[in-house]
Amino acid sequence: MTTFIIRRLLQLPIVLIAISLLIFGMMQALTPEQRAATYAKSEQQAQHLDAIIRQYNLDKGFFVQYSTWLKEVLHGNLGYSKQSHEPVLTTIRKRLPVSAELAIFMFLPTLAFGIWMGTMAAIHRDKLIDQFVRVFAIVGWSLPTFVMGIWLLAVVYGYFHCCGIGRLDDKYMVEFAQGTLKRYTGMMTIDGILNGRWDVTLSALKHLVMPIIAYTIVASAQIMRVLRSSMLDVLNSDYVRTARAKGLPERVVNIKHARRNAIIPVVTIAGLMIAYLLEGSFFIEIIFNIHGLGQWSVPATLQLDFPAVIGVALLVGLSVSIANLVVDILYGIIDPRISFQ
Amino acid sequence: MKPHEMTAEREVWYRSKTFKRFRRNPLAIVGTLLLLAFVLVALFAPAITANQLATIRTARPCLRDLGIKRTEAVSVLRNPLNPVFWRAVLVPPKSCYDIPRDGYSPLPKPPSKKHPLGVSGDSYDILYGLVWGSRTAFYVGFLVVGISLAIGIVVGGISGFIGGAVDNVIMRVTDVMLSFPGLVFVMIVAVIFGNGLLQVMLALAFIRWAGYARFFRGDILRTKSLDFVDAARALGGSPLRIFVKHVFPNAIGTLLIIASMDVGAIVLTAAGLSFLGLGAPVGYADWGQMISFARGYILGTAQGTPFDFWYVWIYPTIMLVLFGLAWNLLGDAVRDALDPKS
Repeated sequence: MTTFIIRRLLQLPIVLIAISLLIFGMMQALTPEQRAATYAKSEQQAQHLDAIIRQYNLDKGFFVQYSTWLKEVLHGNLGYSKQSHEPVLTTIRKRLPVSAELAIFMFLPTLAFGIWMGTMAAIHRDKLIDQFVRVFAIVGWSLPTFVMGIWLLAVVYGYFHCCGIGRLDDKYMVEFAQGTLKRYTGMMTIDGILNGRWDVTLSALKHLVMPIIAYTIVASAQIMRVLRSSMLDVLNSDYVRTARAKGLPERVVNIKHARRNAIIPVVTIAGLMIAYLLEGSFFIEIIFNIHGLGQWSVPATLQLDFPAVIGVALLVGLSVSIANLVVDILYGIIDPRISFQ
Repeated sequence: MKPHEMTAEREVWYRSKTFKRFRRNPLAIVGTLLLLAFVLVALFAPAITANQLATIRTARPCLRDLGIKRTEAVSVLRNPLNPVFWRAVLVPPKSCYDIPRDGYSPLPKPPSKKHPLGVSGDSYDILYGLVWGSRTAFYVGFLVVGISLAIGIVVGGISGFIGGAVDNVIMRVTDVMLSFPGLVFVMIVAVIFGNGLLQVMLALAFIRWAGYARFFRGDILRTKSLDFVDAARALGGSPLRIFVKHVFPNAIGTLLIIASMDVGAIVLTAAGLSFLGLGAPVGYADWGQMISFARGYILGTAQGTPFDFWYVWIYPTIMLVLFGLAWNLLGDAVRDALDPKS
């Protein structure tokens, strides 16, 4: 087990270097002046690009440039964003907690709902609930998050005036701006508790309702499909019949014996989901006007704000690699057979 | 056609378990019919939108490139005996993909006789956009699958054929490609190489080939270990001949089917990117672009009811979801049919 984890950990830097090489390689299509913008630390520096070109070896060969660039990136200099009028790292620091909070709140209900419905469908095969889950799964699979988001926005927010867009009610945003409420983590649900103000947390949760529904309906469909089919496989296996023959209660057989083994493919799907969660939240952020990474970096793309896009790409690449690593290790823990391969 | 009227080969296919499982799946039939409807709409887009082409002034570049006058547009574009009809159906000029706009009013207008599905903001005709958008959808889907499949087959084939160190290196490259987030990759491509439908399609193809390469390599390795390959080797066939004549044709079938079912997913992804503004420019007949354009009208007017402009966003979103649904129903049925276990 330990050797498996260590071997897997050693792969991480290789993947990260490959991703950074790919990004840097594509940046070569830009002119040195455009690339220089990704090194500037402030508005003033961004005015003197020729100095930057000389300082960071932008007129030298590829590998000299790459090592200089990597050193800057590792020191946290990701350049200056025209879109947010501040260094890229500062903006990422502000917006990452927002996206992370959104991602966590989207992921947990999705996982719970998907596992619950998938189990129900498999246990009650060909009954009404199974038919419902099958239709739900295939429709959910064909429904992009942004379409679901638009429909919810029109019906829930537009027609029923429920739940609200953005992150908080306006009056709380004003309090944050005035300083009567302090920002500790940048995650509003937690900041509300830390400030001792439950009404703030409640407001933040209310604003998360639509994003959660939009994402859950779309993403849980996949978990349902996978769990249903793997659970049906397991329910037909001999050891489940043995468990039933022993006279164990149906509930124990289903949950403890069958689902424990059927859940392994779900880990794979859930792992992929975690990896792409940050990306998936970009759509949600834009539709519901949540000031996270996507709401900044997508318009930045359209404004040709290179430093912002490359900074976000590096961040997302890093988070995807780490998520993959964690899932692989988790996989080894859940199913020890895997770590021996 | 009844089974006894078929040639022997077709009868074998018709009676095969795989096809039987497919035929007996009602969802597969629904998916096939839906998809057929989309194909017909896409194919006969010029005939369906002949009225719009004839009555909306800004459709003129399309008619000019087809070489017909406004007054004769309807009679020509709906007459299959006229060669221009087939030119418009098979190789329509690029200008026909621009949605014609009836004036310059920023406010959407509800469905009317002239505009059966209404006009969206800036007076773009919605029916025209939807109908020609289905052509864009097929085009994007098939092109992205085609390019990524071609790269995947070559790379996966080399990996499976040569094996050893080459295989190892290629698989590590695919590892990196698979762990590279797609949306962010498209964003980088758009910011560096420019924002357009072509760039986005190439970026999607470039991010997707790794999955096909891995899948194909796996199938090659599986086929290589079968008895008939050993038999061919025992008969003295050279490795290249065995690969080309025996392994390759037997390994590629499943990949082709699985990949062709990805068209729907790719169209949904591309529409999502267009929605973010990455891809087709404003006014191009593309569903994602139309949905993105509708964003400002979802909540209706400031004082009015929220569903004031329902037609602006409902039609394109429903088209997109139905298109995805058609492919997914079909794909699901195909996968079930191929996998005897389920």
